[in-house]
Amino acid sequence: MAKWGMVIDLEKCTGCQACSTACQMENSRLPGENYQDVLYYTEGRQPTPQLKWFPRPCMHCEEPSCMHVCPTKATYKTEDGVVLIDWDKCIGCKYCMIACPYGVRFYTDEKALIEPNIKQVFKGDGDLSWNPPYKGPQQDPKHGVGIQPNGVVSKCNFCYHKISKAPKGTADLDESNPELVEYVPACVRTCAPKARYFGDLDNPNSQVSRLISDKQGTRLLDHTGNKPQVYYLTGGGAAAAAVPGTRANKKA
Amino acid sequence: MATQTHGSGAVTAVMMAGLAGLVISLAIAFTNLVSGGHSAFNTGSDGVSWGLPVVNYVFFALTSTGLTLVASVAMTFGNKAWYPIAKRCVWLSLVTLVAGFASLAMELGHPFRMLWAIPLNAQLVSQLNWMGIFYAVFLVLGILKFMRIHGGDWNSSGSKQIGLAALVTELLAGGMLGMAFGAMAMRPMWYGNLVPLYFILTAACTGGAFAVLVTCLSYGGPDNMPEPVRKLMQGSLPMAFAALLGLTILVIGYRTVIGLWSNADGLQVWDAVVASPWYWVEAALLIGAFFLLLQRKALAVAAVMVIGGFFIDRYDFVIGGQLLPLFKGSWVPDLIAYTPSTTEWMLTLLAFSIAFFGWALGEKMLKLDAAPQD
Amino acid sequence: MELLKKLISRRRFLQVSGAGTAAGAAVVGSGGLGIGQLSTLKEATAATVDSNTVVNKSICAQCPARCGIDVYTTNGKVHAIYGNAGHPIANGKGCPKMHLGTYILYDPDRFKGPMKRTNPKKGRDEDPKFVPITWDEAWQTVADRMNTLRDKGESHRFGLFFGRGWGATDVGVTLAPMAKLYGSPNIGIGHSSMCSDGSVLAKQCTDGNASYSSYDYRNANYLLMFGANFLESFRPYNNNLQVWGYIRGEKAPKTRVTAVDVHMNQTLSASDRALIIKPGTDGALALAIAHVILTEGLWDRNFVGNFADGQNHFKAGEPVDTAFNEKWTQGLTEWWNVELKDRTPKWAEGVTTIPADLIVKTAREFATTKPAIALFERGAHNHSNGVLNGMAIHSLNALVGSLFAEGGLAYQMGPAYGPAPANPDDHLDDYAKNGPHKDVPRIDLKGHEDGYLFAKNMLQEVPKNHLASKPYKMDTVMFYMTNPVFSSPDATAWEKMLAEVFVIDTSPFPGETAMMADLILPDSTYLERWQDAPTYPFQGWPLAQIRTPAIKPLYDTQTFGNTLIEIGKRLKGPASEYYAKLENVENILRHLAKGFETTPGDNGVNSFESWVEKGVWYKKPYHWRQVRGEFFEWDGQGWNKPMSAEDVKKKLLKTESGRFEFKSSYLDSKRDWVLEKTGRDPAKFNFPHWEEPRYTGSGDLHFVTSKNAMHAEGRSANLPNAIALMQPTAGGRRQVCAEVHPSVAKAKGFKDGDLIRIKSTLGEITAVARVTELTRPDTIVLPFEHGHWAHGRWAKGRGSHVDSIIDNQSDRISGMANYYTGKVTVEKA
Repeated sequence: MAKWGMVIDLEKCTGCQACSTACQMENSRLPGENYQDVLYYTEGRQPTPQLKWFPRPCMHCEEPSCMHVCPTKATYKTEDGVVLIDWDKCIGCKYCMIACPYGVRFYTDEKALIEPNIKQVFKGDGDLSWNPPYKGPQQDPKHGVGIQPNGVVSKCNFCYHKISKAPKGTADLDESNPELVEYVPACVRTCAPKARYFGDLDNPNSQVSRLISDKQGTRLLDHTGNKPQVYYLTGGGAAAAAVPGTRANKKA
Repeated sequence: MATQTHGSGAVTAVMMAGLAGLVISLAIAFTNLVSGGHSAFNTGSDGVSWGLPVVNYVFFALTSTGLTLVASVAMTFGNKAWYPIAKRCVWLSLVTLVAGFASLAMELGHPFRMLWAIPLNAQLVSQLNWMGIFYAVFLVLGILKFMRIHGGDWNSSGSKQIGLAALVTELLAGGMLGMAFGAMAMRPMWYGNLVPLYFILTAACTGGAFAVLVTCLSYGGPDNMPEPVRKLMQGSLPMAFAALLGLTILVIGYRTVIGLWSNADGLQVWDAVVASPWYWVEAALLIGAFFLLLQRKALAVAAVMVIGGFFIDRYDFVIGGQLLPLFKGSWVPDLIAYTPSTTEWMLTLLAFSIAFFGWALGEKMLKLDAAPQD
Repeated sequence: MELLKKLISRRRFLQVSGAGTAAGAAVVGSGGLGIGQLSTLKEATAATVDSNTVVNKSICAQCPARCGIDVYTTNGKVHAIYGNAGHPIANGKGCPKMHLGTYILYDPDRFKGPMKRTNPKKGRDEDPKFVPITWDEAWQTVADRMNTLRDKGESHRFGLFFGRGWGATDVGVTLAPMAKLYGSPNIGIGHSSMCSDGSVLAKQCTDGNASYSSYDYRNANYLLMFGANFLESFRPYNNNLQVWGYIRGEKAPKTRVTAVDVHMNQTLSASDRALIIKPGTDGALALAIAHVILTEGLWDRNFVGNFADGQNHFKAGEPVDTAFNEKWTQGLTEWWNVELKDRTPKWAEGVTTIPADLIVKTAREFATTKPAIALFERGAHNHSNGVLNGMAIHSLNALVGSLFAEGGLAYQMGPAYGPAPANPDDHLDDYAKNGPHKDVPRIDLKGHEDGYLFAKNMLQEVPKNHLASKPYKMDTVMFYMTNPVFSSPDATAWEKMLAEVFVIDTSPFPGETAMMADLILPDSTYLERWQDAPTYPFQGWPLAQIRTPAIKPLYDTQTFGNTLIEIGKRLKGPASEYYAKLENVENILRHLAKGFETTPGDNGVNSFESWVEKGVWYKKPYHWRQVRGEFFEWDGQGWNKPMSAEDVKKKLLKTESGRFEFKSSYLDSKRDWVLEKTGRDPAKFNFPHWEEPRYTGSGDLHFVTSKNAMHAEGRSANLPNAIALMQPTAGGRRQVCAEVHPSVAKAKGFKDGDLIRIKSTLGEITAVARVTELTRPDTIVLPFEHGHWAHGRWAKGRGSHVDSIIDNQSDRISGMANYYTGKVTVEKA
């Protein structure tokens, strides 16, 4: 089984947010609640201010604290290393949102960021909390895919409806390969500067493994012990990688 | 011994007020929740996921633990002077737990799904799983114990064992609730292996406060109290309570200073906590109550002050731990602005109403002032 | 899924059979070129993960870049859009705007069909009381008005103003000929003067090409960017991002970048050096860089030439009288003597606030890290001195020999389209040829001595001229892909004009112009219509893409091209025959595609059908290249054919001298007019030179209304999913915020998140303040996007309408609206 992981090269990332908009399109996300964000920080002073950013999907941790706290096992890890939510089991206690060090989870029933609430414009029926005409054909509550029902938590699922159909044994889901492009997560597929790579972390010959090795991939907030399966490349070589990422060190 | 002689106006008044609170809070909360779902809460994925309803829950669940502790002084640890309030505390520990769970149920996305999903899927490493189990077991044991003593069986070994088991499960439950927060390494404001202890300590304080308050309400004042009750209320109880409260005030002080002193990322929230007037209201209430208890004066007032002070403390703890955004960059402010919504406040009213209405109902119907005959 | 499997197995079969081996390799290498060469059309378009899903090729509409897109439709609903892997601009990739398409299609506030106004009163607070009409009535109403005007000899009082024209089907074959056929100089007034004509004129004045440039970024080793915001708003945005990932993350050696802007943005942040410059002074910086290049002897001798004695005589402050043999440039030493000799870095520091040492470093790097490109856009030229700034910046390209070089910049070739179904010249009546319209100026006074002699368009001048009856009043105006009532400088002037005339809007969205309209002829949105679009200048070689409808129009809408054809058919005289021959948009496209039969594209497109299947026709390479000062033309194998000076003049350096002119002959051709209207020094007026920008207003803060990455041609304002991501760097989430420096906030007594009032001579707006170090202390940055008083439920009433307080001042040479030159005051609201 593959252990799917992502590599994000911060040296190439332009902070354009195409990953976020591709995500919201593919996963029918509500305004401002994309499964992945690009976060921007300002430091310093004129005329030499710093503007920094880093994209932040779900880390699909090896030791996901969100999964460990879930009293109903609604949050679980698949055999291929993806952390998913079973919407049929989620009781909406939001402990996972508390326990995620990366802040990547969303509860369905919250105030709309942008009024008027688009959920009221495209009203849901039955199990769907809303029903936009542009929603994708996939609806798979057991894997937290599609339009979420009321009263549950949702999060990035690595576009599970895509990656789960990839041929077994694929080392890298490379969007430039026409045979694989439909299995590539939306954010990776669209990333114009090619700052994102998606592949099998357990395969030492995959491109993601190669990049992590060559460019000293680091993981966000490694001290929490969650062991993300999303690695960042900082372009800083071994020295940069020796510094564990913290909240204070925002770009890495 | 005193029996149903009191049934004073205070109890009836509390019962009516509780009933009114119940009706009002349920009406408003239901209306808002039915029309807008949980968007009637001011919680959000951007920051405060657990809002005031969870504060209510933590407050009342721990109060239940505290009341069980107070009851155990006589029933488990054999201090017979505490018997006169024991039955009242057992009853109230059940009622407050129901109050806490009522608030939580209104907050959960799928409260009914919880009933089967937790037992069927039992995540053994989840604190919430164990907390739910312990509180559920306690609820059963507490009811059994209450039925025993209500039937006059205070001292049979079976009754004692049930009491002991209830105490243990309550301590485990309260401690597990502490672990739910204390284990969160990613949120330094909560993180720490002594949080369960802190929760049990503060639980004892609120439990004591409720015990004192309802006892005072039951009799309308020291003059109306039967001798054993007055003796307890003028003697060891306020002293023990004062000692416990004094210790807790110290712990809160240390927590605050550590929070302010440390540079650990995430603890900056303490600056905001201390900058809020509510923190100082809490301090004034607790310290004031401490001195009132030392002087054994105005116990009911002291109890209300402790309840108020610890409600603020629970609020600062639960909400404060979430106010510092994890990774939100320019999208969110340095500190999340959270004020509970009307609906959330209605759940607070609901929980208090359940607690007081339930107590008053028990007072009227279940002879809560009963004690062993010997 | 099944279909995909079939496709894959089919390809494997072909590979085994030998025929597909080479093409199979191409599939992996070039992102999908192989499939179409091997498979039949239907199969290739159906290659998706879901058997109910149909993928069709189209063109994104969220910016001018014209990325090819794959539109995913399942059970009649469009749910996903990704880049077309076989499209050379998109390459399978997307920018943030590309993925907004479904929200635009399903915008609940769209017009549902043609309508007419029943409330004669017009204004912001007037409900137009639109009532549905039939398309026939709609078209006939327009044609009747046009015919009536023509009968009165007043055809010039009918105007058709447009913004984002796409190609032949909406403009080239339908709209533009109408001016001639019907007889009105005001049909086809574009928005280019509110877009980026400043750069077009700067290029025209120096190298003779009235065009945006094409760029060979991938082979450049140095980029020097002035106010183009490469990573947020410069076209082609998607490809810029791809380029960035390559030149910064993969290319060896890594391309170095210096970026110039008035606030810290993503481009500046991602660059090696950020120069945060005082608004309107980019030209001073460029002149100082040129000064350093010359004094340090770093110019490209192959392209520019050298002093006759081989020594460098450029010494700061000293005129040059030694002979300089220029090769492909004109007027270098004259330029030095009248201007550059005094433009020292120290001097520039005083003007721009950029430290002199950084200017020197930048100049040295730029001139020694070749190939190097200096590029600029609106930030540099949206000022009264815009053309001068642009000429100064573009001159840097000449100094380092980047024009038409590998890794440099060039211009764009057009597609090999076939002839349109009809020729307008065959359908002109006497009125069209000799009618009174022949003698009237355009309403915008473009090309008129009283107006803007050099300008391409002056849309922003229309309401002013109309209201003053100079030269006359319009009777009927029609709009396509533009909403000047919202987006023009001094936007509110349009409201006054449109209250007086008959207005026809063709937008599918309820914008401000539509609210002033008498007739609504809603266009189909881009995912519902046929359309062609040749590329904006990209990499030089020709490229033409096609929109094919992903679904039938959701509502009773008509593609604008078809609307024009239907109106044209109802015109009196032979014009109707012309439009009858056009038939419809699809028919035009079939005729255009005939050109591909003789000139097949590199991706095998040689017919209408294959064009539809691939979504794009293109043919590499760009035919010309300058190598070390020699020009060569492509001979089918390589750039082997040396070009004569005459060839270069005819095809590449289209100036009077056939060289890059530091001394502009184009400006000199209207010398008296320029001197009179600009008051410029006769010794310098046609050289790139420093002139203080004429800031409008008297406030203490420069008011810069930048364009954000999420700006999708105005549609984002009504897309909640875009609003939430609109201003990431400063955190504008519910609306964009005004970036203000903390020193300003302190002085004016407000804090982050407060509502502030921004005042200009035209009025005031309010905005949410974002107190930040991103912007200069003398500048307030408030991206344009919001402040709509119509445009849909999410747009209306959100944020600040910046263009209502921006004065209508234009560069007298280019006609470019000076959007970024206002000076305002702020206070706590």
